Amino acid sequence: MCMSLSLLLGCTRAPAGGDDTLRLPLINDPIFNPVIAPDIGSVMVNKVLFPGLVRPDEQLRPVPDLAVSWQAAADGMSWTFVLRPNVTWHDGAPFSARDVKFTFDQILDLASGSRLRSDFSAVDGVDIVDSLTVRFRLKAPFAPLLPLLGYNAGILPEHILKGRKLTDAVAFNRTTPVGTGPFRIERVVPGASVTLVRNASYFGAAPGVARMVFKVVPDINAQVAQLRAGELDLITIEPANLGSVEGVAGVRVLQVPVVQHWYVGFNASTPMFSSPIVRRALGFAVNRQAIAAGVLKGYADLPGGTIPVALRDFYDSAAAPVPYAPDSARRLLASAGWNPGPDGTLKNAKGEPFAFELLVDKGNPTREQSALAVQQDLGKIGVRATIRTMEFAALVRDRVLPATYAAVLIWWTTPPDPDQYAFYVTGQDNNHVKWSNRTADSLLSLGRATQDPIQRRAIYTAFQRLERDDPPVLVLFYPREIQAASTRLEGIPALGIRDALRHSERFRFARQDTIR
Amino acid sequence: MIRFLLRRLGHGLFVLFVVSTVTFAIMSAAPGGPSLLADPKLSVAERAAIESRLGIDQPVTVQYTRWLGRAVRGDLGASFLYQTSSLSTIGSRLPQTLLLAGTALLLTIGIGIPLGMSAAARPGSRLDRIVTSSSGIALAVPAFWLGMILILVFAVWARLLPAGGAVTEGVSLGLLDRLRHLILPALVLAAAGCAEVVRYTRSAALTTLALPFVQALRARGISPARVLWRHGLRHALVSVVSVIGLQLPRLVGGAAITETVFSWPGMGRLGVEAALGRDYPLVMAVTLVVSAGVVVASIMADLAQMLLDPRIRTA
Repeated sequence: MCMSLSLLLGCTRAPAGGDDTLRLPLINDPIFNPVIAPDIGSVMVNKVLFPGLVRPDEQLRPVPDLAVSWQAAADGMSWTFVLRPNVTWHDGAPFSARDVKFTFDQILDLASGSRLRSDFSAVDGVDIVDSLTVRFRLKAPFAPLLPLLGYNAGILPEHILKGRKLTDAVAFNRTTPVGTGPFRIERVVPGASVTLVRNASYFGAAPGVARMVFKVVPDINAQVAQLRAGELDLITIEPANLGSVEGVAGVRVLQVPVVQHWYVGFNASTPMFSSPIVRRALGFAVNRQAIAAGVLKGYADLPGGTIPVALRDFYDSAAAPVPYAPDSARRLLASAGWNPGPDGTLKNAKGEPFAFELLVDKGNPTREQSALAVQQDLGKIGVRATIRTMEFAALVRDRVLPATYAAVLIWWTTPPDPDQYAFYVTGQDNNHVKWSNRTADSLLSLGRATQDPIQRRAIYTAFQRLERDDPPVLVLFYPREIQAASTRLEGIPALGIRDALRHSERFRFARQDTIR
Repeated sequence: MIRFLLRRLGHGLFVLFVVSTVTFAIMSAAPGGPSLLADPKLSVAERAAIESRLGIDQPVTVQYTRWLGRAVRGDLGASFLYQTSSLSTIGSRLPQTLLLAGTALLLTIGIGIPLGMSAAARPGSRLDRIVTSSSGIALAVPAFWLGMILILVFAVWARLLPAGGAVTEGVSLGLLDRLRHLILPALVLAAAGCAEVVRYTRSAALTTLALPFVQALRARGISPARVLWRHGLRHALVSVVSVIGLQLPRLVGGAAITETVFSWPGMGRLGVEAALGRDYPLVMAVTLVVSAGVVVASIMADLAQMLLDPRIRTA
């Protein structure tokens, strides 16, 4: 008994998966189909299996992937893409223009189960010019087309999926996907792992590791423990986890700005928040610097407007971040008719207090602590916010979508493009804050229709300046993604993990003899 | 005997029906709805298409009647999240849960009963005090905390055992590898149940040892060990068996926390995932499978009690 136990414990440092296997966590079993996959885990694996026509480089600019070159028509109403020759699917079948057309036919057809249609609502259809050339017909000029093609729109194989609904292709979606990426599927163990193996006929540079294993590890503390135990190689963490990885031998911490803005959305269709002056005042009342330093441990950038600093080409770097100026906030609110009552709470002419409910989703420490900080800061100028935590799904479906809320702390993750038409143009489906500004409407419409980069930059600078006077939301910060990685892992692209996985052939391990 | 079994099975089916109705009602009333729809980026049209594909645009009563109609024919529907049939999704996870729960049950019995009996043999002794107080701790400590501590000690610091998973992923290392992955989660899962069994065994044995027939045995000069382990144990087991029967549902259905902490690909975690994702068909299927397990386990515990105690057989 004793001997068998020591045998059991003794032979332990078995190289978990060998030195040539990259191990990453997922929180649930993925669906291998970029068009219908609903969750972040699926998105990650699909970025590896299913390349798109382009992919973002480290400046988030689109560079060739399955397409080698492209050209927009002079009127901007169509785009022609020349596809990469001699690309084969993981099953050996040749890749061609038919696959691209098939994929976009599916994306545009809601009956297929597509979750990408709104991304490509400007696309009228895709035509095959020849076996390696496709033309995208647009309903209107659409500048974000390229970034969106490099975002979630992985190309699917027509020869396997043709003739049935994508949601019905269960074998493909769950166990036997076929893509064109640097790794192909080897094995799927439900609830446990997805193993990918190097694709010897990959069209790009030879992958640096032999295998990628996505392990299903739903709990972030367990992910941290597995990284420290050498059972995972790269994870993304919350600021609250920093203490468990900083200074740990064999682990290094990286940070990347990501295309997100975290904000408090005020329902502009309610009388309390309809005035731009009130929203601007509340913006001055929140000490973002303290939140970035305290809650995010410095892993965040301070905001101007809704276009984050990660979009280097479009972020308005000439203007300073919105300052913390509680006195200006008080003054502005007084000019909007909110004056302090005897207990310090602001009241309007009718004697109603400035009090509302601030919703935040349950379970994420960063957001919950941010909500507390906002509540305290607003309390200092006499604005009473009551925090209510809800499960994310309930918060979105029961309160945000029907706009039956006063204020909500939430975030947008967007494609690497400044187009925020869907979020902030009057009456759009995703304009949950019910913001409406006619000048912004025309700027955002113009911005997505303008191809010239210099003109486009000027348009979005004007939009960001406008946001200073009439903030659509109270942007709290632009978070940086915190990645904790094994020191043996090299070649990690300086991108958020999802975009980094568009370059999964670049990951490799340091040779054992070179590390100390 | 047969009549008893039939009656219990009939009860069981009725229980399953009630459980399914109540679960469906609670689930439909829960805020939020399927997480497939929780993406704030979906357009109104995309959302409507998904709702109609899942059938959740219908009134709850229609949804339930449809579900029940299919369920009685053995079709529990396809999972929203996994797209595969709910039963096959569970089937792919159930063996892992049975392995973990079975091991934990063996540990519970194998450790709990001998410890409880030994403690009862000399109440107030040092062994008794250690067993009693440590079982108190084991009952009080939450599973996720115990799990994280064990992971820190054995996987992160000592690097003796793996921190999670059921096997080393991506390679096949055989039985030993499986066993190494099983140790920590099985210990954590067994801890609370084991402590409970210790306490029940101890108090049942103490009660037994005070009974007149034990005095009689002792008076006849039968060795204390024989009195304890043969006569005392058998008598005490009658009540301990029902406690063990109560462990089964917890081991199978309640393993969710242990399975999450150790990334164990079992059904407990699947159930939590289904509930959080409002995956209606999968929630229903998991609930039914777990309830059926509980029904079967309690019938088995009753049968075991009948074997142990002749007085119940005639009742």
